[in-house]
Amino acid sequence: MIRIGNASGFYGDRFSAVREMLAGGELDVLTGDYLAELTMLILGRDRMKDANLGYARTFLRQLEENLAEALERGVKIVSNAGGLNPEGLAEAVDKLGLGAKVAYVTGDDLRERFPEALTANAYLGAWGIAECLAAGADVVVTGRVTDASLVVGPAAAHFGWGHEDWDALAGATVAGHVLECGTQATGGNYSFFTEIDATRPGFPVAEIEADGSSVITKHDGTGGAVTVDTVTAQLLYEIGAPAYLGPDVVSHFDTIRLDPHDRGVRISGVKGSPPPDTLKVCLNTLGGFRNSTTFVLTGLDIEAKADLVRHQLEQAIGDGDLTWTLARTEHADADTEETASALLHVTIKTPDAKRAKAFSRAGIELALASYPGFHVTAPPGDGTPFGVYRAAYVPRTSVRHRAVLPDGEVVEV
Amino acid sequence: MRPVSKRVSPKKVPLRRIPLGTIAGARSGDKGGDANLGVWVRTDAQYEWLRGELTVERVKELLPEAGEVDRYELPNLKALNFVLHGLLGDGVASSTRFDPQAKALGEWLRSRHVEIPEALL
Repeated sequence: MIRIGNASGFYGDRFSAVREMLAGGELDVLTGDYLAELTMLILGRDRMKDANLGYARTFLRQLEENLAEALERGVKIVSNAGGLNPEGLAEAVDKLGLGAKVAYVTGDDLRERFPEALTANAYLGAWGIAECLAAGADVVVTGRVTDASLVVGPAAAHFGWGHEDWDALAGATVAGHVLECGTQATGGNYSFFTEIDATRPGFPVAEIEADGSSVITKHDGTGGAVTVDTVTAQLLYEIGAPAYLGPDVVSHFDTIRLDPHDRGVRISGVKGSPPPDTLKVCLNTLGGFRNSTTFVLTGLDIEAKADLVRHQLEQAIGDGDLTWTLARTEHADADTEETASALLHVTIKTPDAKRAKAFSRAGIELALASYPGFHVTAPPGDGTPFGVYRAAYVPRTSVRHRAVLPDGEVVEV
Repeated sequence: MRPVSKRVSPKKVPLRRIPLGTIAGARSGDKGGDANLGVWVRTDAQYEWLRGELTVERVKELLPEAGEVDRYELPNLKALNFVLHGLLGDGVASSTRFDPQAKALGEWLRSRHVEIPEALL
């Protein structure tokens, strides 16, 4: 059995989780997911400012604090915090000077093929991570691998799975899917939260067996809960058809069996089949500039108040690119001011940065010249660039998935 | 609005008009411009009812903001998964939707009132 924990479900998750997971109980591997479609855009904008950035900086600070203990206890660290710059993150981890054997996975960055995109990253699988661990790495950082690969890679390396051990790979993928959002598996964001203590859920752990089956659990004494219901909730997160496509295996979610276990939930029975010949690519392009504000409309004549301010703003800057939503949150004859109020949201999305800025000025200039009771929840800013996401697909064979081992050797995966 | 009271179906099964979330959990999220919405219940009898009740058409009635919807059955998890195409436009960073990552779509569905057989409560 291999015991794999998770300490992050997104860039910005609980900073102390790495420490909590190392101190809270036994682990063989500690993983962390830092990447989402939106995160790639944020990192892309970091990289525009400084080409040495583009990775999740909180991860480096977490290692500053905890890597010595992980090394001492023999817990391997595997994370996609490398983002758009896994090599840069690997160098930064080296510079911590703790003598850790650091490896990284690369080849996901396809900007050359999609020059119009700010970020273009193929979702790589688990085999690069497995190569790094088999070579003795203490820390493996990657760019855009699938979230579940952070769990599948260590399990595959530990058990020596082959590329066609479909059921084992699918079982570990399901365990990885449960772990990838951290505390969403242990009672965070859980519909039946009133039935558990959801104050401070512990992060999840998967104890994976040689056949890919697993027990989902968490360290003793941590909050939250691991039940068939909390695990079901996370299995349903961000999925489509029951045949869940991945770069290494298709995992059939309609074959998953969940059973209560005395320390959590046992997952078994998962069937896998060969993956598609293409890899998915996450593309982010800059779409233009956006700005928004929310007018508070209180009391009587809500529709007429909304009509007036809408007419005024459109007269000032034109009606193009504006999206209006009137949320009728007001109650008649209300006994608090807040519950007497409706909210009128307006957003501008425009290719023209000047127009996004003019939106603010026009909104503010209405302050003494609009509907009675005019105020806004927060004044609009100068406008910010926004990204447009789309997926593309490229032949698997066209992507050079590489593992760079601790001694610098490059292995084509 | 139909009254919130005990009702009797043509088959004489006593029904109560109450929130779906009385018996069903849900979790929702984003995949690019699409939202996914998983709904699950805790007993086999509840699941038999759920898969009859929550058709694509019914989900569109309960969530009138939905456009094209795909439905998948996961009987092993006593769950249905819905993909709501295009709900989020060009994705979270671009969407002007109130909840641009569809995080609370599931809680909205759970709050909708449906007629649930009393025997399932």
